[in-house]
Amino acid sequence: MIEAMTTDEVHVTVGWEEEGENKGGNGSGESGKSTIFKQIKLLFQTGFNEAELRSYISVIHANVYQTIKILHDGAKELSQVESDSSKYVISPDNQEIGEKLSEIAGRLDYPLLIKELVHDVKKLWQDPAIQETFSCGSIVQLPDCAQYFMENLDRLAEADYVPTKEDVLHARVRTNGVVQIQFSPVGEGKRGGEVYRLYDVGGQRNERRKWIHLFEGVNAVIFCAAISEYDQMLFEDETKNRMMETKELFDWVLKQRCFEKTSFMLFLNKFDIFERKIQKVPLSVCEWFKDYQPIAPGKQEVEHAYEFVKKKFEELYFQSSKPDRVDRVFKIYRTTALDQKLVKKTFKLIDESMRRSREGS
Amino acid sequence: MPQYQELPCGGQELDIDTALKDGILGGAPELGDATAGDGGKQPVELRKMMDELDAAGDGGGDEAVPAVFICPISLEPMVDPVTLCTGQTYESANISRWLALGHRTCPTTMQELWDVTPIPNTTLRQLIAAWFSRRYTRFKKRSADFHGRAAELVHGLRGTAVPKRQPLKGQARVAALRELRSLATNHQSVTKAIAEAGGVALLTSLLGPFTSHAVGSEAVAILVSGVSLDADAKAALMQPAKVSLLVDMLNEGAVDTKINCVRLIRILMDEKGFRPETVASLSLLVGVMRLVRDKNHPDGVAAGLELLSSICAVHRPARCLIVSIGAVPQLVELLLELPTECVEPALDILDALAIVPEGRIALKDCPRTIPNAVRLLMRVSEACTQRALSMLWVVCRMAPEESAPAALDAGLGAKLLLVIQSGCGPELKQQASELLKLCTLNCTSTVFISKCKLTKTIQ
Repeated sequence: MIEAMTTDEVHVTVGWEEEGENKGGNGSGESGKSTIFKQIKLLFQTGFNEAELRSYISVIHANVYQTIKILHDGAKELSQVESDSSKYVISPDNQEIGEKLSEIAGRLDYPLLIKELVHDVKKLWQDPAIQETFSCGSIVQLPDCAQYFMENLDRLAEADYVPTKEDVLHARVRTNGVVQIQFSPVGEGKRGGEVYRLYDVGGQRNERRKWIHLFEGVNAVIFCAAISEYDQMLFEDETKNRMMETKELFDWVLKQRCFEKTSFMLFLNKFDIFERKIQKVPLSVCEWFKDYQPIAPGKQEVEHAYEFVKKKFEELYFQSSKPDRVDRVFKIYRTTALDQKLVKKTFKLIDESMRRSREGS
Repeated sequence: MPQYQELPCGGQELDIDTALKDGILGGAPELGDATAGDGGKQPVELRKMMDELDAAGDGGGDEAVPAVFICPISLEPMVDPVTLCTGQTYESANISRWLALGHRTCPTTMQELWDVTPIPNTTLRQLIAAWFSRRYTRFKKRSADFHGRAAELVHGLRGTAVPKRQPLKGQARVAALRELRSLATNHQSVTKAIAEAGGVALLTSLLGPFTSHAVGSEAVAILVSGVSLDADAKAALMQPAKVSLLVDMLNEGAVDTKINCVRLIRILMDEKGFRPETVASLSLLVGVMRLVRDKNHPDGVAAGLELLSSICAVHRPARCLIVSIGAVPQLVELLLELPTECVEPALDILDALAIVPEGRIALKDCPRTIPNAVRLLMRVSEACTQRALSMLWVVCRMAPEESAPAALDAGLGAKLLLVIQSGCGPELKQQASELLKLCTLNCTSTVFISKCKLTKTIQ
């Protein structure tokens, strides 16, 4: 199942964010691992050709339906539950559209997004109740790509629509199984361009502890943690905070014997969303960050909050690492997986770091 | 270039022919002022030139000042040479002082002076002035070159060169930084030129979350080479993203990079607006401890200990962090292997850590604390003895039943008696006797004597 490592290949495992092993369900992922994979394909391989781009159309349309359904059903639920319920009540002329779209999106197969349907979706999206629901997206389990697709509806429904790279990067589809990709970050032809092999294990649903040791020989583990989800609950267990789940998972991975000497790269991902959220939702809503003290509104606050989160992860790393493991390489990277330039720079740094540790400097 | 002949007595004789050719003796027009016969003006200018050349430590490759130009009394080049009746020449001020003290002999030949009148040696004065004048113009030209080259490099990196070009990137940038670093470390005066060309802001801007170590290590090396960092620059360097890079390089760079990062952090810590939480970073502390444990590089050990010591002094919560990464046993184990000058800083740190409860517990739990501390008593310095004693005091007080016998086994008794009988300060002796009392509470005198291996006389 795992290939043997040859001397000029570097194997990296992309960590996963949460697993539902005890919950019987599926982990909702969404930490950005697959986006990283897509970026690698764009940056270091041949990118997506037209056929591949077109293969994403159904996914993108599905995301649109899923988004509007979540918003519609969410608004209905909030209007019954919330004390301030009137703002969540969908206006009368849109209610019929809402029911129709919700029904369509509940089917197994989605119809292609055509102009009439788009018109309906747009009308519903602009409904004040829907907008109000959108602003509490964290509660209703709204995917992060929601706003992006809603704002590009017309383009998505064009008859000759071919998804752009950005569309593909935003498209959300749950990974199944283990995905593997092979690339060279320094660029082919350049001397010393090592071959990297990256595994995304996010989709593996079986009990983690049974197969994790198969990755014992890897050079590094990349753990993706979406720092923007400090106020979100798990998809499959709405009582559990996603960040707490991430914390437990990271702790578990660090303590695995098979990774005693493995380098750890922690990607604190979705910084762009974190940046916007921190102005509205205090970090302290997450139990792990309850001792956070804000300093001043604005850009300073973002940096301060980020440093706080980073320190918490650092603390966790050193607490979970026995003294004999403290010497393994541990680096934290601030990432926004959607930003191609940033991902490229990050991998350049990773390449430099791995080269240094291989040379034993 | 004047040719010199080695004299059998070890001096050098100026070859007149080549000196003539090179214009020392007034052949070349450039020496205009220096050879003018204006006695009053010359010494001041000449003194200025001499001082400047001296201060610049002007290169090792140059020829030394000719022996005949040196005053035998002060061993400094003469500005106003005067000759005595014995034919020996001295600096006027120096020989005047000698004669004023009542001497009537020639300092070098010891002959009695039949005539104490000093004769101004104009020939020699002109030769000295000319020689220094040439030396000075050459020095100025060379310095200007270094300064010019440094400024050129800075502008190249900034993209502000004339004619306008893109700022250097990639390998070219690393090469330029490397050359700049070499200039800055070899020629102190260049740091001023770097600052004037806007180098400090450039270097600061180069440090960020995506800086490669190749670029970062050169930039930091230049920043600690003596370039003056104003308050703005230091404030910029204290930004978390830049500090993160320093911490990274501290953990993964080559040894001199690590040392430079330590030095830069130390410089920032001295600045007024420094926020102590910046150094409360586990990665930083782990990196510094790694440096301290690297026995192959004593420079790094010293630098690391100094930084740790400052951190302990500046930020109390950092002490708990330092203890939490296991620094106490690591430092204790190192104590006997450290170079002598590092023992006191290491003990200082342990002393500071012992103030927090976790630190005290760590000291007690470490099996080598007692034996190593006992070994250090009366071994390095009084200050070290005092700190080692206080460490023992902490441990013994926390758990007297186990610690006291262990301490006595390690030879504490004899050492304490030594302290009490030594020339150490009274508080130290007092502490020693109290510790002795504590440790011997449950000891019978025979056991005590045998443990101390006391000789009959001291008994």
